[in-house]
Amino acid sequence: MNNITTHLNRRVFLQQSGLNLGAMALGSLLGRESASAASSAISSLDLPQLAPKAKRVIFLTQSGGPSQLELYDHKPGLMKWAGQELPESVRQGQRLTTMTAKQKQLILPGITKFSQHGKSGATVSEWLPHIGSVADELCFVKSMVTDQINHAPAMTKMLTGHQLPGRPSFGAWTSYGLGSSNKNLPDFLVLISKMKRASDQPLYDHYWGSGFLPSRYQGVKLRNSKDPVLYLRDPDGLPRELRRGMLDGLGELNRKRLEQTGDPEIATRIKQYEMAFRMQTSIPELNDLRDEPESIFELYGSDSRRPGSYAANCILARRLAERGVRFIQLFHPDWDHHSRLPSWCTARCRDTDQPSAALIKDLKMRGLLDETLVIWGGEFGRGVAGQGKWDSPEAGRDHHPRCFTMWMAGGGIKPGTTYGATDDFSYNVVENPVHVRDLHATALELLGIEHEKFTFRAQGLDFRLTGVEPTKVVKGILA
Amino acid sequence: MRCFYPSSYLTTSLLVLFFSHTSNLMAEKKKVSFSHDVLPLLSDRCFHCHGPDESHRKAELRLDQEDEAKGERDGSRMLVPGDLAASEVWQRIITADQDELMPPPDSHRKPLNEKERATLRQWILEGAEWGKHWAFEKAKRPAVPTLSQHPIDAFILQKLKLEGLKPSPPAPAHTQLRRLSFDLTGLPPSPAQVDEFAKNPSEENWQNLVDDLLQSPHHGERLTMWWLDAARYSDTDGFQLDAKRSNWPWRDWVLQAFNNNMPFDQFTLEQFAGDLLPDVTPEKILATCFHRNHMTNGEGGRDPEESRIDYVIDRVNTTGTVWLGLTLGCTQCHSHKFDPIAHKDYYSLFAFFNSIDEDGRAGNKAKPYLKYRSPFAQRAVEETTAYVSKQQVLEAAARKKAVAKFSPWLESRWKHLPENYRAWHSLKPRLVTSSDGSSFQTEKENIIQTVGLKPKQDDYSVIAAMPKSIKRITGWKLEIFPHVSHTDGKLSRGEDGEFILSNVKLLVQKRGVSQVREVEITGAIANFEPDNKDKKRQYGKIKDTLDDDPRNGWTTSSGDPRQKHQAVFELKQPLLLAADEELVFVLLHRSTGGNANIGRFRISVSDQSGETVKGLQTAPLEELAKSELTALEAIDAKLRERLLAQFLLDDSVYQKSLNELEVAKVQLVEVKKRSKELSVMVLAERKEKRDSHVLIRGVWDAKGKKVQPGILPAILPLPNSKDLTRVDLAKWLTSPDNPLTARVISNHLWQIMFGSGLVRSPDDFGLQGKMPTHPDLLDWLAVELVESGWDLRHILRLIATSETYRQSSHVTPDLLARDPQNLLLARAPRFRLPAWMIRDNALVAAGLLNPAIGGPPVKPWQPKGVWNEIFMGRLTYQPSVGPAQYRRTLYAFWRRSSAPTFLFDSAQRRACSVGISRTNTPLHALTLLNDTTMLEASRVLAEKSYQHSSELLASMQYLALHILSRELKADEVLVFKREHQRALNYYLAKPTQASLLTTVGQQKTPDQKNAPRIAAQMTIASMMLNLDEAITHE
Repeated sequence: MNNITTHLNRRVFLQQSGLNLGAMALGSLLGRESASAASSAISSLDLPQLAPKAKRVIFLTQSGGPSQLELYDHKPGLMKWAGQELPESVRQGQRLTTMTAKQKQLILPGITKFSQHGKSGATVSEWLPHIGSVADELCFVKSMVTDQINHAPAMTKMLTGHQLPGRPSFGAWTSYGLGSSNKNLPDFLVLISKMKRASDQPLYDHYWGSGFLPSRYQGVKLRNSKDPVLYLRDPDGLPRELRRGMLDGLGELNRKRLEQTGDPEIATRIKQYEMAFRMQTSIPELNDLRDEPESIFELYGSDSRRPGSYAANCILARRLAERGVRFIQLFHPDWDHHSRLPSWCTARCRDTDQPSAALIKDLKMRGLLDETLVIWGGEFGRGVAGQGKWDSPEAGRDHHPRCFTMWMAGGGIKPGTTYGATDDFSYNVVENPVHVRDLHATALELLGIEHEKFTFRAQGLDFRLTGVEPTKVVKGILA
Repeated sequence: MRCFYPSSYLTTSLLVLFFSHTSNLMAEKKKVSFSHDVLPLLSDRCFHCHGPDESHRKAELRLDQEDEAKGERDGSRMLVPGDLAASEVWQRIITADQDELMPPPDSHRKPLNEKERATLRQWILEGAEWGKHWAFEKAKRPAVPTLSQHPIDAFILQKLKLEGLKPSPPAPAHTQLRRLSFDLTGLPPSPAQVDEFAKNPSEENWQNLVDDLLQSPHHGERLTMWWLDAARYSDTDGFQLDAKRSNWPWRDWVLQAFNNNMPFDQFTLEQFAGDLLPDVTPEKILATCFHRNHMTNGEGGRDPEESRIDYVIDRVNTTGTVWLGLTLGCTQCHSHKFDPIAHKDYYSLFAFFNSIDEDGRAGNKAKPYLKYRSPFAQRAVEETTAYVSKQQVLEAAARKKAVAKFSPWLESRWKHLPENYRAWHSLKPRLVTSSDGSSFQTEKENIIQTVGLKPKQDDYSVIAAMPKSIKRITGWKLEIFPHVSHTDGKLSRGEDGEFILSNVKLLVQKRGVSQVREVEITGAIANFEPDNKDKKRQYGKIKDTLDDDPRNGWTTSSGDPRQKHQAVFELKQPLLLAADEELVFVLLHRSTGGNANIGRFRISVSDQSGETVKGLQTAPLEELAKSELTALEAIDAKLRERLLAQFLLDDSVYQKSLNELEVAKVQLVEVKKRSKELSVMVLAERKEKRDSHVLIRGVWDAKGKKVQPGILPAILPLPNSKDLTRVDLAKWLTSPDNPLTARVISNHLWQIMFGSGLVRSPDDFGLQGKMPTHPDLLDWLAVELVESGWDLRHILRLIATSETYRQSSHVTPDLLARDPQNLLLARAPRFRLPAWMIRDNALVAAGLLNPAIGGPPVKPWQPKGVWNEIFMGRLTYQPSVGPAQYRRTLYAFWRRSSAPTFLFDSAQRRACSVGISRTNTPLHALTLLNDTTMLEASRVLAEKSYQHSSELLASMQYLALHILSRELKADEVLVFKREHQRALNYYLAKPTQASLLTTVGQQKTPDQKNAPRIAAQMTIASMMLNLDEAITHE
């Protein structure tokens, strides 16, 4: 009986998940971590067996749209254009948000100093000295392109491949495609910086949702609270030993029911309750940084001592990587700098510079960088025209979709490189454009998945993360 | 390029091989059906490049139209009936040449397997007869097989017979009734109902039960939940700050429509065009809110016209999915790749919704609105009013108790208060550090003076122990002094002598621990703030030092720079420190311009609650100390009042009671607001029609050819198609000749009763969708639905009275292997109940359910902080108090950006959803184990079962009857007894743990002496609520 139920359980699961017959696990195809039938994921049978370069992704999401002009995309030639109107030959009808559509587009040159770093000589702003110090590990893509100009659609595009909510997120696709390598933790975890100021861009849960994939692939938010995962904590007054007893009794009774009904779903349920019990220990353990040495807090900076900070979450990201979690997504909000760049943008740089760089160093020290793809970036860039009075410290910048900078590092990425280029105004890409979907295709390739064949049937269509528009793997940034 | 040009040669040897291999297969086959066997293959493997979508069409070849497929091209023919050798299609399927093969190996479409090739081969040999996709042919009533009196059973048995299978025996009475009750009302049956039916499970009693449940007001609630998912109903917009909307009166309209069994064609008509009907009423207009339930985006900077186009598109897609079972979404950008729907057709549908008097805005600007007062709100007002009165009585009693303790306290304070008592204690810093280079000197009276470097910006950290004279900290004070060493003797050494404090933080660090904890500061007040009313975001307000935003903060510029200034910060909760803990005060100077670091300052703390840390006046106790009273009776009445107020703040029992009253009062204010006239988003035509265009590649401002409102001609053409309105669209959808709607809706009803439809892709009846498992049964039901006058209850009753529905869900390994998906229904399906029914079930089992119908949304228990995290503190979820907490899940407030957390696998309500997703994960387990509703229900069940009988077995059977609708068997009792004993031993030894466990929720806590027994019983109830059987449709 038991054999039959385990065996059939998987078949029923496949069918109930809306998957095509003949589907099977990429995880087992690639012959990596022994994934149990119930926890392994499924992909199409003819999925090519690319050799994976990365086992996991850490996506350091900078929500709001960091300014490439202040941080990475150095345009010294702009000084002579200061205060002049952006030539139409550059703008070429680019749509603006309704916030600045009626305003003159007066050029505000980047307000920061840049210097070259490392052997690669990458130019990084004075506001990001630590990121500069690891430039030789990074690949700066200066030619990122999106087609959305407002936050929610652009972030939805960046994280799900489509501007309207409802598609599976990047992380959900990954956890679906690769399956689990840790039996005690979810495959896809989300960490959000604890901020005091109410951000103007809420972080909707569809950013890590499973869309039409089964809900088990959705990202699980790791909260900075007594209950790090919703409902994880047993109620006050219920000790572990009683919880154990309750689950033993429950398992016993459910097994009786399994014998009576023959329904293999019950076997799965018993397993899931056991995994829930294990998560009640494994998650608080990983969330508790008390076993980290003092040197780690020094590496990640003083803010890492404050639980819930971006810096503390960077330490957690490394701990999750060590534990084999497939997709680790950090969110740092409030990069939407429409005004006061000198105080507002610097605040976000101070939050993130040292810990982002420390994460790279830390992963490298532990030999994890080679197998971890780290991505840093937001949903779009910012425009060259000043918003508000361009020549006052009050000035900021409006959204800009046509070019922005992201960086990547680790798992299969060519270190110490800069890829793509923008025009003299950091307005249009003039060399090697990388669309958001190219980024997705490239990341999937590094994980061993050929994006064109990685599909899921929903509403009668074979969907893929990269959608239907022409998409390319960016070979130029691969090691 | 690979395409369907005639191939020059054939590999004959391969052909021969293929023939010999398949010849014996052919003889066994019955005639191939075009629509059921062939079309799905053509659609899946060919139409992507050779189908209706002209933009992706290769070689200008269409295989979706008979004349093209059979016509001649360049001297060869794609399909020649009866002649394989002459049929190019066939040759290209069997060729060994990878460049010729179809579908091309690099197309990512699955190659045709042997069985599929055999089907196509047989079809060509049999004459390549053409037809339509089954779902696009009008349903005709098929003859009912004679195998049973009941038509449904007859169709099911016919197929079982063909497969050599038999149906399962009937399920036990309690299982049947449980199944029926959940399916028709979403609620479990009562133990009395089960008992009665089990005693006499006659056909007549069953029929009566079906009728009773269909008549129950809860039946409408059950169907409404189906419809809300389909309608992507939500109480908020979904984008940006996810503003609230008040469309819930529409939810009640749906509920009433179902409870009145409104015919589905009327139900459709009113929701599409209630505003255009000649006999229009406010309720008919209300019905049109269906098409306004989409998300709305009010993001700053977004072009409202782009949003408006999104909304119109959403209406078209929703119509396609819910009524037609078509994936119209794909035709937004191009003609459908598989179904005969042109790009232009999509925008003809679009045109019906394009002249709504809306402008794409969100929040409270999402016109058109109907001003409407809900008839269901008054009940909620009365319920909450009664609850507030109850809380008022409790609060008054608690206050009386607390006040009684005041006089003795005051007496004792007065006696022991030193004359020089001070409410504030200045801190002697152990260390002061700077992030950017300032140096510090600590001078007398703990004043700190900056010296040395003058960085542009700087953060100061002051580390100090708590003064020994106090035991807690309720607030802290920052004093800023002028000094001769400062610029012009003012407050700072910066540019103009003024300071700007951008932010403050208070941390606690523990010796030997690397992590710190941050202390929450809730209030801030200063002696001076510049008047900045006219200047947006200027530095000035002391409150702005709390938000960690360097763009604002506190300055006293425009005040007197040669005078001391001070600010007081209030902590959210009194702070207690361990012996090895220290305070870290951080003063951040990160203003936009910089050069404004504080020059000279001092930090003090207080242990006094209330006004001391909320203001700058002298603390009441300090005044008492100074007052030199000879007798306490002579105390100034006002001072006594102030002392009493402060005293009550520290009485936690009273504060709890007061807080409960205040929450209830807030709830009452909200409910009252909702009982007034509301603005419900509805449809209304604007005076001047907008022109509608095909949108090229679906891009909102890429206008192509102009189009008029029109239906989908390939589904059902309309003879007169001029000046069509939404009325015509609704009538077209429910026309008896429309091949789709009745099938699609019958399938939904089947899904409600069986957990999945006869078509397993309820959202796709097109060529790429699943074939019906029982095509004749589906057609029979569709015709029956139309001919009954679109009577939904009639169909549900038919299903409920079938033997197919009532059979057992137990499965043998053989049958499971034979039919794992239960496509043949040789057994009843067994599946987990949706999360909303699991919650409702727990409330009913515990007798907590508030059965009221309709009205404003409520907020069931949800973990703390869920909304706060998404909106960074802007929104807080306050669970409903009083009876409102126990309303059905249907009424739970639905925030689109954060759906109710306890609904672990619900539809997301972002777009319409008619499918059912069922998953089985550890997170679901955690929810059912630890959700407050589940725990509170367990607790109440524990108390009730204990009241029912102090004898363990009887009390367990009470639980089982209420949770499982049956009694426990002996072997089950043993398990429960064992766990009960384990728990009881623990709680008898640790009664405080028992008290902790039994206070979950808002019900009155049990007596101390009973707590261990209730707690032990509670663990049993919780186990039972988590049993697979308890959460499963068996």
